[in-house]
Amino acid sequence: MKRLMLLLSFVAAFAAPAAAESTKPPLPRDSVYQLAAYFTDAQSRRFAWNAKRGQPQLVSMFYTSCKFVCPMIVDGGKAIEQSLSAAERERLGVTLISLDPARDTPAVLLRMRQDRDLDPVRWTLARPQPQDVRAIAGLLGIRYRALADGEFNHTTVLVLLDADGRVIARTEHVGGLPDPVFLAAVRRTLVP
Amino acid sequence: MRALLVICLLPLVASAGEVTGYARIAGGDFITALKYEDARGPTKVAPFDIMRRPVTNAEFLAFVTRNPAWRRDRVAPVFAGPDYLAHWPAPARLSPDGLGGQPVTRVSWYAANAYCEEQGARLPRWFEWEYVAAADETRRDARRDPAWRERILGWYARPSSRSLPRSGAQAANAYGVRDLHGVVWEWTDDYSALLVSGDNRNQGDPDRTQFCGAGALSIDDRENYAVLMRVAMLSSLGGSDTTMNLGFRCVREVR
Amino acid sequence: MKRLVSLLPFVFVFVLAGCDRAQRAPDAGAAIPAQVTTGGSKGGDFGPPQGEPVKAVLTSPPFVPPATGRTQPAKVIVELEVIEKEMAISEGVRYMFWTFGGTVPGSFIRVRQGDTVEFHLKNAPDSKMPHNIDLHGVTGPGGGAASSFTAPGHASRFTFKALNAGLYVYHCATAPVGMHVANGMYGLILIEPPQGLSKVDREYYVMQGDFYTVGKYREKGLQGFSMEKAIDEHPTYVLFNGGEGALTGEKALTAKTGESVRLYVGNGGPNLVSSFHVIGEIFDKVWYEGGTHFQENVQTTLIPAGGAAMMEFHVEVPGSYVLVDHSIFRAFNKGAVAILKAEGPEVAAIYSGKEVDEMYLGDRAQPNLAAVANAARSAKAGALTLDEQIKAGQALFAGTCSTCHQGNGQGLPGVFPPLAKSDYFAKDPTRIVDVVLRGLSGTVKVNGQAYDSVMPPMSQLTDDEAANIATYVLNSWGNPGGRVSSDEVAKRRKEAPVAAAAPH
Repeated sequence: MKRLMLLLSFVAAFAAPAAAESTKPPLPRDSVYQLAAYFTDAQSRRFAWNAKRGQPQLVSMFYTSCKFVCPMIVDGGKAIEQSLSAAERERLGVTLISLDPARDTPAVLLRMRQDRDLDPVRWTLARPQPQDVRAIAGLLGIRYRALADGEFNHTTVLVLLDADGRVIARTEHVGGLPDPVFLAAVRRTLVP
Repeated sequence: MRALLVICLLPLVASAGEVTGYARIAGGDFITALKYEDARGPTKVAPFDIMRRPVTNAEFLAFVTRNPAWRRDRVAPVFAGPDYLAHWPAPARLSPDGLGGQPVTRVSWYAANAYCEEQGARLPRWFEWEYVAAADETRRDARRDPAWRERILGWYARPSSRSLPRSGAQAANAYGVRDLHGVVWEWTDDYSALLVSGDNRNQGDPDRTQFCGAGALSIDDRENYAVLMRVAMLSSLGGSDTTMNLGFRCVREVR
Repeated sequence: MKRLVSLLPFVFVFVLAGCDRAQRAPDAGAAIPAQVTTGGSKGGDFGPPQGEPVKAVLTSPPFVPPATGRTQPAKVIVELEVIEKEMAISEGVRYMFWTFGGTVPGSFIRVRQGDTVEFHLKNAPDSKMPHNIDLHGVTGPGGGAASSFTAPGHASRFTFKALNAGLYVYHCATAPVGMHVANGMYGLILIEPPQGLSKVDREYYVMQGDFYTVGKYREKGLQGFSMEKAIDEHPTYVLFNGGEGALTGEKALTAKTGESVRLYVGNGGPNLVSSFHVIGEIFDKVWYEGGTHFQENVQTTLIPAGGAAMMEFHVEVPGSYVLVDHSIFRAFNKGAVAILKAEGPEVAAIYSGKEVDEMYLGDRAQPNLAAVANAARSAKAGALTLDEQIKAGQALFAGTCSTCHQGNGQGLPGVFPPLAKSDYFAKDPTRIVDVVLRGLSGTVKVNGQAYDSVMPPMSQLTDDEAANIATYVLNSWGNPGGRVSSDEVAKRRKEAPVAAAAPH
């Protein structure tokens, strides 16, 4: 079963970018994908941020050694997913971007994905380039600071991007029951 | 045509810079006015080079000419808000009225960052900026002097409608750096690390879920309101924001 | 009888004891009569807003928006802009104020308890600083400050429900908070009780604040903010509505006699507490601290920094009523003065104005007044003798003329001419009436010496007094003698009227 999933995700990984590059209108000027940022995922695959274009995304920033709120970010993403129908769920991607590329290597990301039992097709754990972290955070409206001990202070937010990478909604209400206003926005964005 | 433009601009660039280039800052231990829960002892500031004065309109025009993606009529709104470079008469032209020599304002963090990167530099970190800005003309750390604080506060009394002075017009401070106070606010690389709650009166109130982990920033030295106000200002901004009082200068690593 | 009397004290004590028992603290379990309360915030939610959203009418000081007139909770949209602007704080003195709505204090906001307020805070693009707002009428973190932190050129929005009625201060709460408040970032929001406020003829908005400048009081030019003085709580100015003269002269508040006036008075601070008083008026009602209950018949009320009070009074007589902080040096040396000018007909029965201004000779003249009284009596009876006139004149002379001409009539050589053995009067004794009535100036030669002084007209003297003094002088110190009647004086006065002069 696992192998099949792996194969499927392999195919999906190639299929998605290919689909994205076909007859697409120019990227909207208010899209976060205007930033030419590159990531590595838990499978050590390198991808451009605009490869996510074509599918609405739930995006946040976190780091794996975070014990406090970051687990709640994952819970928050899951809670949104649970509140959607199966069809809606398939149309939504979740991208969590690390604040700590130095320590969040693909191996570490993979372990986290397994620990939290995250669907490898729908969920992407992404390691950015160190020089892009502040720029990405700025586009998502996330503020953060590196602490002396390697931890991070950061604001906690879930951002909804539409298929073209425009910020549609944000919620700081993370964990437990989903913010109903945010959930409604997610549903509207997922209408095909 | 573009080459002609650049050549024409050279005199503007040169005249604004009897003061040019970077000053070497040796660094050292530094007691910051900011209070972070995780800080242990003084902050260590590593050596760095800092521009002696803020970047001017003329210098920024040259950058925009070389990198047309940063023209105000072409830049993506996610990188710069609607007021970006609004004070220029045209997207790639300056008026000959002294604007060229003034510090550039109405620039976003992304634009300032791109300018510095093109130079092989970066924006200063908050501590680097604070370290150099603690000096007055004769002392490296003038922060205890009430007269120095009053001078800085005097800037807030001046209305924004008055035009800016020429960049680098102030006397140099003890490090040879000018215009850190009383001219424009300046971007820092880690502007979004200044995690201040929107209501600063809650200092010490541990609403820890707001900023994952330790509580928000407190200002330790309550009399250093010059710093307080800079922090308040930077913490209110997003990366694509511009204001008519906000400019920048760059910093280079020392290898 | 004696025995009964001696028993009285004991009876008295018993009676007192009986009274005392009734007034002792109630036994446990006995109900203390409940105070009337409005139910606080818990009882202040009247449900969801009804009807179409309403745009709040905001006014600049000293005016107040009209009553909402609502009977149901509504959604109210408030839009307030922060503007940093240079204005006059005193004549010739300018200051960089930070304002809500372009004025100090900021715009007056009026809503009703139970309303849902959608608050839009805008920060002008040329502002140097980010700003936010804390409204004391908001129940919620920071009073809204946490949700309204706004960079220059931005706007933010938050929504709150007004659960408590009252008159509340709002102010900016961005660090350093004291500086933002000291620069004028405060105002008032009135949350009307559900039944509304009673109708009055005039409503005015006044707010006190203390200001701290680097320069001294009234030092000209653009003055900067002094953080040192603010921390030490030594204001340079204490003002109503952000400027000296903001509410005086042409800009005074106005009312007519017979009108009822309600003042909404706030104190933005940042430091001082106000002892608010209106000279010449008593507050019929004061809703102390801007709350629900009122006190009556109050002369001076305390308004805490960051607090407010509402007061009503009725104007009976015309005049200028001066609003002050009765920590009085603030009023007269730092500018805490405002005027309410009331116009209308005088009402002498309530306030007469000055009725009498007469000579008061004090103790020194006491014994001699008897002579004056005596002469007056005789004159009335028509039987005034020369001797009585002379005695009365002597007493009056001592109080009025001797200052210059000396008690013995010698005068002051070279300065004041002598009256003793005066050849001036010897030539023509009738001159004395004119001199007393009209004074004398220009060169005059008396007893061989020239004098060139000014004697003012003694127009404060009555005909009787002038006659008695003249008679006394003519009959003293070797003068020719003679008699002057009060009729003669009256006749002379009528023939050539004398202008009023300053009292001698």
